[in-house]
This record gives sequence, C-alpha cells and structure tokens, in this order.
Amino acid sequence: MGEHTYPFHAQDKLVFLLALVPYLMDHDRISVTEVASHFQVTPEQIRAAIRLIAISGVPGETNQYLPGDLFDIAWDDFEDNDQIVLTHRVAIDDSPRFSAREAAALIAGLQYLSALPENANRDVTGRLMAKLSRGASATPSELAVAASQTDESLGLIRDAVAAGTQIKFDYVDSRGQHEQRRVDPLRIESLDQDWYVRGWCHLRQALRTFRLDRMIDLVRTDKPLSRREADTTLPDTFFEASADDLSVILELAECALPLIADYSPEGTEPSGVAGRVLTSVRVAHFHGLKRLVAGLAGTVTVRSPPEARLLVADWAAAGASHYDTA
Amino acid sequence: MPASSSVSVRVPVEERLFSLVLALLATKGGLTKQEILSSVQGYRQHYALGGDNSNLERQFERDKDDVRELGVPLEKTDSAGQTGNNQNLRYRIPKGDYDLPRDITFSAKEITLLELAGMVWREQSLSAQSRRALLKLRSLGIESDEPIVGYAPRLRIREGAFEPLSSALERQKIVTFDYLKPGESTPQTRTVAPLALVQHQGRWHLHATDEDAGGNRTFLLSRFVGPVRLTGRSFTPTGEGHADRALNELEQIWCQNVAEIDVVPGTDAATRLGKQVRGSTTTTAMAPITVHYTDMNVFAAELASYGPEIVVRAPTPLRDAVQRRLEKIRADHERPHDG
Repeated sequence: MGEHTYPFHAQDKLVFLLALVPYLMDHDRISVTEVASHFQVTPEQIRAAIRLIAISGVPGETNQYLPGDLFDIAWDDFEDNDQIVLTHRVAIDDSPRFSAREAAALIAGLQYLSALPENANRDVTGRLMAKLSRGASATPSELAVAASQTDESLGLIRDAVAAGTQIKFDYVDSRGQHEQRRVDPLRIESLDQDWYVRGWCHLRQALRTFRLDRMIDLVRTDKPLSRREADTTLPDTFFEASADDLSVILELAECALPLIADYSPEGTEPSGVAGRVLTSVRVAHFHGLKRLVAGLAGTVTVRSPPEARLLVADWAAAGASHYDTA
Repeated sequence: MPASSSVSVRVPVEERLFSLVLALLATKGGLTKQEILSSVQGYRQHYALGGDNSNLERQFERDKDDVRELGVPLEKTDSAGQTGNNQNLRYRIPKGDYDLPRDITFSAKEITLLELAGMVWREQSLSAQSRRALLKLRSLGIESDEPIVGYAPRLRIREGAFEPLSSALERQKIVTFDYLKPGESTPQTRTVAPLALVQHQGRWHLHATDEDAGGNRTFLLSRFVGPVRLTGRSFTPTGEGHADRALNELEQIWCQNVAEIDVVPGTDAATRLGKQVRGSTTTTAMAPITVHYTDMNVFAAELASYGPEIVVRAPTPLRDAVQRRLEKIRADHERPHDG
C-alpha cells in the first residue's frame, strides 16, 4: 500500500518542490533512491525535480537570475553517482505549513481511525490533531468523522497479521450459510463503517474477503502463514471477479449510478424512460444482488435475466408476507 | 544557468509557480504586479514592455489562487497612504506565516498514524489534500517507525454534492440546492451558509445556517436532488466547533430513535443488525432486538434489503415504510420484463 503512483498536477509538483528543498537542506548528501523511497515517488520524479530546483531561484537585484540568485547542486555527484548535494540555496528556510483543507483531511482521517486498537490512547490522537491545527496556515475546515465502531476481533486479527499467524472462524455468508474457515490474514481493510479482512482462504484455496461482523468464534492459531502479502498480489478491486460471474441488466435512475459503483457497472444506455438508464453488472450469485435491489426500492430494478427478477420478487414477497397478517 | 528571455522558451507551469513563490518569499517590501510580470521566471518571457499584458495578468490571478489553495499565505498589501491606488499594491509571502513553526515535530509513531490517516481518502479532493499534507510531512525527514502493512482503511464519498459543498465551506460561499425532506415527494429549494461537513454512521451530512428557516440545520447529502449552486454571495462564519456540535446532535437523534425488530437468528440481518442475537444459530425462532437509527427512511431502505430475515414491530411509521418498500419491489419485479 501507499505505492500507488498518482498523476502529479502542477499544484502537486509545486508542493513536492517546496517539500523537497528543506528535506535536502537537512541532508548533506543523499542518494536519489533514498529520497524517492522516503517521499514514496519514483526516482525519475526525484531527478526531474532536482533538475528544476537546480536552475530555479529569485530574480535578484539585477532581475537577471544570476548564478548567486539560484539554487545549485554538485552536478558531478548528481549526474555520475545519482547523489544529491545541495551547494547553494535561496529563499526557503523551512517546510511549508499545511493548508486549512490539508490539515482538515488528516484530522478527519485520524478521527475515523480513533477506533483502531493502536489508538486506545485518545491523548495521542488529540495531541496530533492540535499539532496539525497549529501547523496550518488557517483554521482547519470544519470536517469531522464519527469514530467507526469496532470490537475486539479487530485487535485479534491485527495481532495475527503482525505476528504472521493464521486465524480460524465460523463464517456466515450472505446466504446465511455457515462454514469453518482457516485463513492467512494479509490485510485489514475498511469501507466506512464496515471492516473486512482479506486473506488466503485454505478452504477455497483462493484469495477471499471476509466481513468482520460475519465471523463467529474467531481465534488466533500458532500456525504460521502459508503466504505473505508480498507473495500475493491483492487486487485493488474489493471483490474478486471470476469467470463464473453472472451478468445482470439493471434499470436505474441515472443519478443512482454511484450507489452501485461497488459492482463496477459496465457502460450505460438509455432505458426509454427519461432520467433512467440501463447498465450491466457482474455478480457471483444473485443473493447479494437481491439485497442490494431490495434496499433501493423504486431506484433500481432488475431487467434481466428472469431468474434474477424472480429471486428479487420472491425475496420482497417473503418479507412483505410478514406484515400481511399482522 | 539563467534562462533565456526568448519568447520561444516554454516554461513549465510548476517552474513558473515555484519561481513565483521563491520571488515572493525573498522580497521584504513586496513586489508590484508589474515587477512580478516583468521579472519572474515564466512571466517575464511573455512580458511586453509598455504593451498589452492582460493575458499575463489573468495568468497571474489564476496562479495566485492556485498557490493560496496550497496553504501558502500570499499577501496583498497597500503601500502606506496610497490606499486604492492599484499601481501601489504589493505582493509578498511573509516567512513567519509560510514556515511550519519549528517547535512542531512528530514522533516516528505519529508519522505512522498520519500516513494511515492520509490513506483513508482515496477519491475526490480529500485524497489530493491528504497527499499534499503527507508530502509536507515527509519534508521534515522523519521516518515512520514501522511500515503500515496490515491496514487499508477507507472512507468513501459517493454523494456528488460533497465536492461543491466542501469548496463552498472553504471559501465561505452561500449556496442553494434542492432538498427532499423525509416523507415529502417534492424537493424544496434551500439557501444556506455551510458550516461543517460531518460523517455519522457512514453517512455524510451538511451542517449549515438555513437562511429561510433562520437557524442552523443539518442536511443528509444523499437527500440532495440535482446540483449545488453558488449564489455569488459570501458570509462570515461565527463561532467554532460546528462539526463537533453537528456530530453530537446526530448522535442524540440516533440514541432517541429506537426500533423494535424481530430477527431470524443466524441470518445476515442478525449479524449486521446486532451482536445481541449472535451465537444462537441453531434455532429458527425470531429473536427480538432493539436498534438505533438516525433517519427513518434511510433505515427503512436498509431494513427492506433484509427481506424475510426481519419483521419491524415498532415504531409503526417505520414498519409501514418497510412494508411499502417491499411491496413496491415485489410489484416492480413480479413478471418477466416485457420490454
């Protein structure tokens, strides 16, 4: 994680330059690869930034950007050894402050994470938030996130991930069926209020994602992992697609497309009704779909296949029947 | 290695912005716009002495906004006694306001936590804000004590209204939008001064001063209909702690709203609605539980998704809402679609 390379826009590049200069000032000599690894960017991004910094500076008294007005580096060390030695600097003395929104983004992230077992000590989070506020150029924007609720299972899995040992639990799938699972936990993930563990499932012999609130009788074992995250490429998409997936055509209000984003809808076409579109999604089975559609009454309907429509209709009818006689 | 002043030299945007920041940090008394345009790298190449520089001036206006958006305190000052005379406006970046105070330091453990906090946002502008904040943090040269293997937390923003509201909140702009109140079928236009954006129970809310209602109100972002529009008017926010107050109010509402629900043990509904019914997986008898909620209609939608796994006992409006939803879904899916 944290190794995604994002497209750098001009503003990002400026922040990067302003952040890089004070870092280099604190290091008499440092290799390009070391800087790249610290900033989590590619070595080529570092080299491009160094080339730009080395020809930049202030107009100076003559307005001519004379050599004394510019940054300078030891060019031989840079070109021949991929080493950075800043030999002359101008204008910048310190790291820049955070913007109000930057500080707010990190503060809200910290609030969300205050439920983690690592953060049982609330003082740490509070102190950090105060430092970010003081380090911002204006009062951080009013953005807040209620702490996500977690239970002791999160701590147990976290310890297992850290120790590199397997976990065992009884898992209730979306159809309500129970199975004993033994899993190499590779990563704990969350999506808003829901927590998941991704890992290698010994029963299925495949990578699987498990919801923490569907685990019963969770225990740590002493068995070491059979796989490590480094040996396994965890796909970025949350739910693993498979060749056996079923295709479903949905009709929905165009503005409701974000609601089904997790299902990666493939393109849209007009439905014949104003404001409503058709799209297709792939699902492992129709049982998860029936829950999704039942939760979006009037917003999303299943067009085809007929068996998926029937399953949704039966699901809703069975639910509604509880109320007919009452 | 001074750059040539030939017009043909194309200076990358980041070089122009970097040069602008360096020039304004280095000046004590400030630079006039003319001085900036004629001397700073990236502008000077396009400066026409005694000619029309209106394009370049517009460029400078945009650049100023871009630089300020990054938290760089780019100031405009009037020379003494010359108020109102545009020719005497001077620009500068005061070092004291630019530099991160030296006494703000972070431990390796704190850096680890902050890296994780920055990872929470993966989309829209908050992701860009976090990335920039982390670049500035790394500038301090502190290594985190352990790589963050094992966690990938994530907060989602699916509501299209979030981005324009976040920008209006930051820039203190009054906005209007159409809002569908719970239980009503036609949206109402609201005009509000945004005070805070908060996420509670996984849902985003706007806390704002409602001009028509004459008081502070909290709006659920998923109830916005259509786009958020700027009014062109600004406001000066009063007080602070709006976000915390809004969260406390939502928490109170959540505590006050209690539903009584029968749940089939061992089902998905049982696992998700409460740990109370966990464990008794052998029986198929319904087990009663009580659950809190914030917005009745939003909760009714969630409850409908559980189909026959639950029955709502109380309150009656919630029970009716769930029943209506289930009947609507049944009707919408009854026959094979004939289109």
